[in-house]
Amino acid sequence: MRRYILFRLLQFIPLLLGMTFVSFIIIQMAPGDYFTQMQMNPDVSPQTIENMRRTFGLDRPVVIQYFFWLKNIFRFDLGVSFSYHIPVSFLIKQKLKNTLALSLFSIFLTWLIAIPLGIFAAIKQGRWHEKILSFLAYIGISLPAFLIAMLMVFFAARTAILPVGGTTSVFYIGATGWEKFLDYLGHLLLPGLALTFAGIGGLYRLMKNNFLEVLGAPYIITARAKGLSPVKVYFKHTLRNAINPMITIFGYTLSSVLSGAALVEIITNWPGMGRLMLDAVLSQDLYLVMASLLIGGVLLIVGNLIADVLIAFVDPRVRLR
Amino acid sequence: MEKVLDVRELKVALRRDVHRSETEILKGVEFSIGKKESLALVGESGSGKTLTAMTVMGLLPENMSVKKGEVLLCGRDILKMSQQELRDVRGVKAGMIFQEPSSYLNPVFTAGNQIFEAIKDTSLSVKEKKKRCIDVLKDVGFTEDIYYRYPHQLSGGQQQRVMIAIALVNNPSLLIADEPTTALDVTTAAGIIELLKILMERYGLSLLFITHDISLVSNFVDKIAVMYAGRIVEITDAKMTMDMPLHPYTEKLIACLPERYNSGEKIKTIEGSVPDFHNLPSGCPFHPRCPYVMEICRKSEPPVVKKYGILVRCFKYGMSMET
Amino acid sequence: MRVFIRRLKDKNRLSFVSLWILVFLYCLALLADFIVPYPYDLQHREYALCPPVLPHIFHNGRISRPFVYGIEIVNPAFKEYRQDTGKIYPLKFFVKGSERKILGIIKTDRYLFGTGNGKVFLFGTDNHGRDVFSRVLYGARISLSIGVIGVAISFILGLFIGGISGYFGGKVDAFLMRLVEIIMMFPFFYLMLALRAIFPANLSSVQVYLLIVVILSLIGWASLARIIRGMVLSIKEEEYVMAARALGLSSFRIITRHILPNTFSYTITALTLSIPDYILGESALSLLGLGIQEPYPSWGNMLSVAVGNLRVLTGAPWMLIPGFFIFLTVITFNFLGDGLRDVMDPKNW
Ligand SMILES: Nc1ncnc2c1ncn2[C@@H]1O[C@H](COP(=O)(O)OP(=O)(O)OP(=O)(O)O)[C@@H](O)[C@H]1O
Ligand SMILES: [Mg+2]
Repeated sequence: MRRYILFRLLQFIPLLLGMTFVSFIIIQMAPGDYFTQMQMNPDVSPQTIENMRRTFGLDRPVVIQYFFWLKNIFRFDLGVSFSYHIPVSFLIKQKLKNTLALSLFSIFLTWLIAIPLGIFAAIKQGRWHEKILSFLAYIGISLPAFLIAMLMVFFAARTAILPVGGTTSVFYIGATGWEKFLDYLGHLLLPGLALTFAGIGGLYRLMKNNFLEVLGAPYIITARAKGLSPVKVYFKHTLRNAINPMITIFGYTLSSVLSGAALVEIITNWPGMGRLMLDAVLSQDLYLVMASLLIGGVLLIVGNLIADVLIAFVDPRVRLR
Repeated sequence: MEKVLDVRELKVALRRDVHRSETEILKGVEFSIGKKESLALVGESGSGKTLTAMTVMGLLPENMSVKKGEVLLCGRDILKMSQQELRDVRGVKAGMIFQEPSSYLNPVFTAGNQIFEAIKDTSLSVKEKKKRCIDVLKDVGFTEDIYYRYPHQLSGGQQQRVMIAIALVNNPSLLIADEPTTALDVTTAAGIIELLKILMERYGLSLLFITHDISLVSNFVDKIAVMYAGRIVEITDAKMTMDMPLHPYTEKLIACLPERYNSGEKIKTIEGSVPDFHNLPSGCPFHPRCPYVMEICRKSEPPVVKKYGILVRCFKYGMSMET
Repeated sequence: MRVFIRRLKDKNRLSFVSLWILVFLYCLALLADFIVPYPYDLQHREYALCPPVLPHIFHNGRISRPFVYGIEIVNPAFKEYRQDTGKIYPLKFFVKGSERKILGIIKTDRYLFGTGNGKVFLFGTDNHGRDVFSRVLYGARISLSIGVIGVAISFILGLFIGGISGYFGGKVDAFLMRLVEIIMMFPFFYLMLALRAIFPANLSSVQVYLLIVVILSLIGWASLARIIRGMVLSIKEEEYVMAARALGLSSFRIITRHILPNTFSYTITALTLSIPDYILGESALSLLGLGIQEPYPSWGNMLSVAVGNLRVLTGAPWMLIPGFFIFLTVITFNFLGDGLRDVMDPKNW
């Protein structure tokens, strides 16, 4: 298994390099460079800019520039934000925490709800339970995260059940650690639930289809021929096999979770990467945009890696290779 | 003689949702297996052999239903049992093994785990159960360490032996083997057959052996039942079939066996194809392929007649029971 | 084609209904110039954020021909309106008005309906007093076309790259598939924003429209290419392709004549199911102010008024109506795609 995980890790390295390269190309495609904006700032003398260009290697050929940039990235130096005048990595670190909290919260909740529903529907395949659930799932799949978020903000504002916007309440200062945590959680609830509702439908459908597929597998006939109870057939033999592909899918769903999270953040005013990136795009803060893009990609890679490692743990065919 | 399995006039139909119609697939299957007796069910692909076996286990797919008949397993009709009763019978009275052991074993559990969970005797302690598993594993020719192996770590023959162990762990009266050697190479297959012979002796088993290869079973089982299009067309003593096939279909099956060829001869097949269940020919379903076809074969279905002590369904042998 | 639609009707009712809803939506979009009572940019200043004004057919308990009541503002600060049951304006069909051009071609001075001096706001008005119904219909043109055009361009790219990758295999394949993986490893939305950032924020409507199509296609081709590559790989080994090769046909001919047509049924399903992504991509960009610019409406930018403005959102929920249309379009495309899959799958015949 160790070899397998190592192998997967190594496979991700070219992917990661490719990602940095694509990000770099995108920056290159943008008109002007990092210092074009600085030139407009009367406080900075042209001489300084020229010096900085040299230190950043911007006077060299593009490929060399790329390696300069790459070298900086591996030192976690993602450049300086034009608009905030502080290191991009610092800005991102702040927001990343909130985005991760939001995404993980909603992933946890989505799985908690969608997986049992998927199993239930698969067992009841063709009956009215399943038909209703599947129809609801269609609605869920077709409602984009940003619409759900808007609807939820609408209802939250009308009923004042949930706090809308931000991560903290007014009384935050002076609260104890536990109160702070609860307050944070309270604010997380609205964007978190919106993102969860957006994800349940898709995951439900995947789980249901997986479960159904495994139910049709020959070894389920064996399990039945042994005279096992339905509980054992479903929750031992079927579930264990149906969950494996779901773990792989976890890596893929992460992409839509992060995308959805970004939109939900913007709409519910949750200060995460989405908001940060939008502001960066609006103010043409290129380094910040590219760094966010790269971080988004890295998150996905990490998610896929985690999924791969998990697979190796739960599937003996991978583990004992 | 006491009968372990007695299938009477079994009719099974397939529901088709699109047209809300039913197609009969088993059209009155009848045979019985005595204690320690072995019967081979022989026929081309699609003739309904697996379906017969599945009905005996009470494991019909959801789109199939029994229309008529009785399936007496050790004297009790399994068609009248509740789901709970069925579960109690499965494994205990009858065990089953399948064509492709690799896909019939759950890939994520060890062989031992899959044998262990099959044990029905609740009075046994965990230790005793495990002991029982090891015993069966030894019976099928393994050492203890197979217990901890996963299916993908075993060869096809080993997997099939694990399947046999699962089927036999409760000491059932009947073992149903659905083409257990088709997916295996010749030597491994021979090994499995040998093992089955030994186990029948040791466990006092009755055997329902399903195959499409009549030569494989002719000197190994007691009786051979030949199946065609959802009906048993001939039941004979195994020793007699090869030399004296009665039904034209059986005759063809034997004539097409590879070992009957002289060198240089072309490979023979039965002309025509297996009929489609959704539009079977009228009369005797075999008549379009039958060399002896008569006018009556096109019109009505032949009844069962007894000829030389053999039950056969063919107008060649007359219309009614001969004494 | 007719057989095909009949089969869709038999197999999957929901997708059959969806097909007709989509046809209807496309007709609305095409004929918007004729249907809408007001131009999309006409501002009724005195009626900002007015709730829907719907036609009635009962007056004082008696049935009459359709009419609308007059509306009057009660509280200008809080934008409260009330229907004045004293004033009645009959709803007229094929009313005469100033000349418009349907799709810029056919001149007409009659519209589907209007009220003369009264106001009919089926879906209410926005914060500038523009008729939301009219804007939704014009906005439909964006969403409904961008999905199809975006998918078409991605498809051509995906077909080309996936076809090459699958057909030639080896190093070409390895390189192209790594590229696909890299693109797919970025979160969709992040990549969309990043690509948008390269271009200036304020562009003309047409430029923005084209830009969005390009951005969405640049992201979307990857997954299609992967699907097509897989199909090419499996079909490549089949006999008729082998035969074509044995006959000495050129690679290009084999790809275009033999491989691609055989992937048709699967592709059409995959394409239909990916249209929603493009529609949602445009909506998201426009919602954030990075897409279609005012005054031209798109379902996405119409929603943007309600983002971050709780007063508008809670006080004027009809501003969410474009969201309903996004939802309707997406769900019908999803149903249609699933229905197509059922129909195209030879197993289900
Ligand atoms: N689940 C099912 N749904 C629909 N038709 C089925 C199903 N199972 C079996 N059939 C049909 O029933 C007929 C008999 O099938 P069965 O599996 O019993 O054949 P068989 O004799 O075991 O053939 P083989 O040698 O290929 O195993 C076949 O025509 C098959 O098409
Ligand atoms: Mg079979």
